[in-house]
Amino acid sequence: MGLFETAAAKALASSGVFLFMTVLLIAAAKRISTCIALFSVQSLIITAQIIAVSRMHHSTEGFVIAGLVLSVKVIAIPYVLYRIVEELKAPRDVSSSTSSSQSVFIAAGLILLSFFAVRPYVGVLGGDQAMLAAAVALVLTGGFLMVSRKKALMQVVGLLVLDNGIFLAALTTTFGMPLVIEIGIVFDLLMGVFLMGLFVFRIRDTFDHLDVSKLRRLRG
Amino acid sequence: MTLMTNVLQVLLLILLAPLVRGVISRIKARIQNRRGASVWRPYADVLKLFRKQDLVPASASFVFRLAPMVVFTTTLVVAAFVPLLHGLALLGVTGDFVLLVYLLALGRFFLMLGAMDGGSSFGGMGASREALVSTLAEAPFLLALMSVAIAAHTASIAGMVQWTMGQNFFQFSAVHALAFAALVLVAIAETGRIPVDNPTTHLELTMIHEAMVLEYSGPSLALIEWASAIKLTVVMALLIALFVPWGMASSVSALALGVASLVMLLKIAALVLALALVECSVAKLRMYLVPDFLGVASALAILAVVFTALMR
Repeated sequence: MGLFETAAAKALASSGVFLFMTVLLIAAAKRISTCIALFSVQSLIITAQIIAVSRMHHSTEGFVIAGLVLSVKVIAIPYVLYRIVEELKAPRDVSSSTSSSQSVFIAAGLILLSFFAVRPYVGVLGGDQAMLAAAVALVLTGGFLMVSRKKALMQVVGLLVLDNGIFLAALTTTFGMPLVIEIGIVFDLLMGVFLMGLFVFRIRDTFDHLDVSKLRRLRG
Repeated sequence: MTLMTNVLQVLLLILLAPLVRGVISRIKARIQNRRGASVWRPYADVLKLFRKQDLVPASASFVFRLAPMVVFTTTLVVAAFVPLLHGLALLGVTGDFVLLVYLLALGRFFLMLGAMDGGSSFGGMGASREALVSTLAEAPFLLALMSVAIAAHTASIAGMVQWTMGQNFFQFSAVHALAFAALVLVAIAETGRIPVDNPTTHLELTMIHEAMVLEYSGPSLALIEWASAIKLTVVMALLIALFVPWGMASSVSALALGVASLVMLLKIAALVLALALVECSVAKLRMYLVPDFLGVASALAILAVVFTALMR
């Protein structure tokens, strides 16, 4: 095993750390475009993990999935979201109902919670505790982002982070789902983002803002 | 030889500090499409100020004269605690990371006293802002250093540096990543750089550090300016020593030290470039957003301390 491979193995073993950092940074971020970029980085880390896992198990399916995730979650979805942010010409802040330090405190609490949540299952499921905790933390933070951010676009970003968490959980416990299911999920997500993009434009056109906390009355 | 190296690295920190400042302002000028002053300008400034008359306001007491000396001395002592070229520092006792935090705090305290003693309203304003920032920065600073200390099972900075040098570069530890993030935010607040304070501002209403030194002139101002330059360099050296010490000399020989100084120069240059880029692309925060900024640092530092138990 060459020096490069050793280094890559060490880096991947501790890549849960990077996922925690992206979670905390998304919680601290004040602009939608920053959150989108961080989501892209997060997906890139997960792609690297898929490649590592499929290399370990000598599965070609894994590389196909990695390519799929790379093209859709790292490039296509963030690009589409960027374009939406550009086209909307709306204020670009996430307009959170918690300040960024409160958000980071909450995200930190969620990370700790996920560590304690996965502790009983690490022995049964196998896999790295930090990675499993990272998966749960991504799911929890995704939910938190959807609840606390008022901009309609941040609901999309929160859902994507949540989906990354589910994907990572599948990867760490069962070494990934079958290819057909993965393809289905990824395209479902892509379509979902397109649909939500359309919805965001409709919300903007009808209400002249994207603040979901003000969407309380029906309008014809 | 070891002692000589230790003395040498403190002298390097003290004498190169104005150059670091000059290089930062030069890079910033270049990014902003200005020509910018020479990188040696801070030395010329300090030398010029030492030759000038020291004007003391009529209302000021001895504290006003004392403050610059205390600020300068505490910063010098802090510089002696930071390893630069090899894993040892000139001064080092068990628990010296706590001492380092509070020596810096002592310097700031006296600067605040001096500013209030000067009698101008801007001095008082700057001092009260500085008090707010330093109160909020103290907890994350101490906690982040403490998390590294717990991870390394040692309470001295030199010990932490040696422990980190023995670790695998590619084995990223969550504790170190979180502590690094927290310390970078704290360092920005501590040295008064852009998102928190603007070192080049001329607008009294937004100043923090500059408002405190408005009444100072001559040698006193020279001491304060030099001390703040040293502080910036020392904090950079501390970040490098704690988180990326690889490349420091493991033995005290001329060759190893030469390589170590070259590597250290490169690392400081990288930090300087990063700082200049950040300062050119980020706007200064409103005063009321500074607690939020440091709150993020506190959250990261607390998480770092908790992770020392989780990641065992």
